[in-house]
Amino acid sequence: MKLGKVITITSGKGGVGKTTLTANLSAALASIGRKVVAIDTDIGLRNLDVVMGLENRIVYDLVDVIEGRCRLKQAMIKDKRVNSLYMIPAAQTRDKMSISPTDMVLVCDQLREEMDYILIDSPAGIERGFQNALAPSDQVLIVTNPEVSAVRDADRIIGLVDAAEKGPAQLLVNRLKPEMVARGDMLSINDIVEILAVDVLGIIPEDESILISSNRGTPLTLDNGHMPRARIAVQNVARRIEGESVPFIDLTAREGLLSKVKGWFGG
Amino acid sequence: MNKEIASSQITIKGIRDGLLISVGRYYSFADLYKELKEEVTQKGSFLRNSRIALEVGGQILTLEELTNLQILFAQHGMALWAILSRREATREAARELGLATRLPGSKMDLQGNGKPDPALAPEATQNQQPPNALLIKETLRSGRHVFYEGHIVIVGDVNPGAEVVAEGDIIVWGKLRGLVHAGAAGDTQATISAIDLSPTQLRIADRIAVTPPAEKNQHILPETALIRDNQIIAEPWK
Ligand SMILES: Nc1ncnc2c1ncn2[C@@H]1O[C@H](COP(=O)(O)OP(=O)(O)OP(=O)(O)O)[C@@H](O)[C@H]1O
Ligand SMILES: [Mg+2]
Repeated sequence: MKLGKVITITSGKGGVGKTTLTANLSAALASIGRKVVAIDTDIGLRNLDVVMGLENRIVYDLVDVIEGRCRLKQAMIKDKRVNSLYMIPAAQTRDKMSISPTDMVLVCDQLREEMDYILIDSPAGIERGFQNALAPSDQVLIVTNPEVSAVRDADRIIGLVDAAEKGPAQLLVNRLKPEMVARGDMLSINDIVEILAVDVLGIIPEDESILISSNRGTPLTLDNGHMPRARIAVQNVARRIEGESVPFIDLTAREGLLSKVKGWFGG
Repeated sequence: MNKEIASSQITIKGIRDGLLISVGRYYSFADLYKELKEEVTQKGSFLRNSRIALEVGGQILTLEELTNLQILFAQHGMALWAILSRREATREAARELGLATRLPGSKMDLQGNGKPDPALAPEATQNQQPPNALLIKETLRSGRHVFYEGHIVIVGDVNPGAEVVAEGDIIVWGKLRGLVHAGAAGDTQATISAIDLSPTQLRIADRIAVTPPAEKNQHILPETALIRDNQIIAEPWK
């Protein structure tokens, strides 16, 4: 029997890339042979299924499981592109109050027995949906963008995670634009860490291939033709979750010349 | 046992409408929640099926925090029906959740004026003199609100988005970047000191000041803010 780990991906501010990173990170972990299930807990605003390209295969959802209309297995959609990747969609026509933190703990406890990783895509904000996503969590990843308002909201969430005794949370800095940082027009990783005082688990650059892959429903980490920087950055996060110590890549290097470690540039 | 160092600040008392739980001094919701959780978990079987009125003192509790408390009690088979608070914001949130904000027959009216009926109030709130300073050894992140009737000393940072309000002085052994208000009850002698004094906004008594935008890599030196000639000024911390 396995004893899977529950990883919650959350943020204070909306639209910073939680769903995108949940999809890509799940695929990256599955690609290195782990058994992974991604759960969309954004009830009423589901979209993890779209980003993962599994929308048309939905029959049952998370609320169906919780309310006993189907078995857990029936709501788990298996990805056909990679072995051992599953996803449980959110209900689209219900609201956040239809599941409770206790429900999430029970569902995840069942999943732990079969899975290596359970990734939870949380809704933005600090209310019930966040509590649901946090309740079963073993590791909390906070997504932020290098901008003042997103960092402020991340700070708030880090405090709430601590208060719930689920900390310390770790940070995923998404949509970093190295040129802008170099010009002093964007918060640097140092600026962010100075305020938030938590560990950074990953730095993902702004990369249009992420957007393209989301629209096509193919997580970057499953797209064999492609090795953009964002993909490598996500794969590095997966390896760090696995316990490897992977140096941060230099995002200021030209594409294809990724190499040296240089402080906090990226990766 | 010496009340000042009693580990639990919680008192429970039977009243006509069930139980009155009073929490003593705490400075964050997390603390309050943790203490209450311990208490109801420990005394679960004794408290089960009771109706609970909760007296929370002068801290502001948000709608979401009250919801968490409601859930906590519900999980242990108790029904929270009233919140007694000295703060209108807290009572407002409580009413939104359909909770009562006074006890029937109590002198503590909807505006929170007046003390609760002495017969109903737990002893702890009557004869305990609060110490004159509160020591907080952690960083206050965005969204935290700390209020104290005396001085506040913080060993840690105060991040943007956090608020610290004291009736006395405020001392921050760290970076002060949030909102601080010293002398909140009107004391114009109150001061605010920090290793790095760059709050979003700083208030002493009824004066308000805003920190000028910092220049990058400016040399940091500990400063004290105080009122002189009717104006808030900052000078090197002595
Ligand atoms: N590294 C990146 N580079 C470019 N675009 C990105 C990157 N990460 C995310 N995006 C884009 O940002 C938008 C928002 O992303 P996403 O939906 O994942 O955010 P979210 O945090 O899940 O939002 P919500 O709070 O609404 O759930 C999407 O259009 C996505 O394609
Ligand atoms: Mg999302």
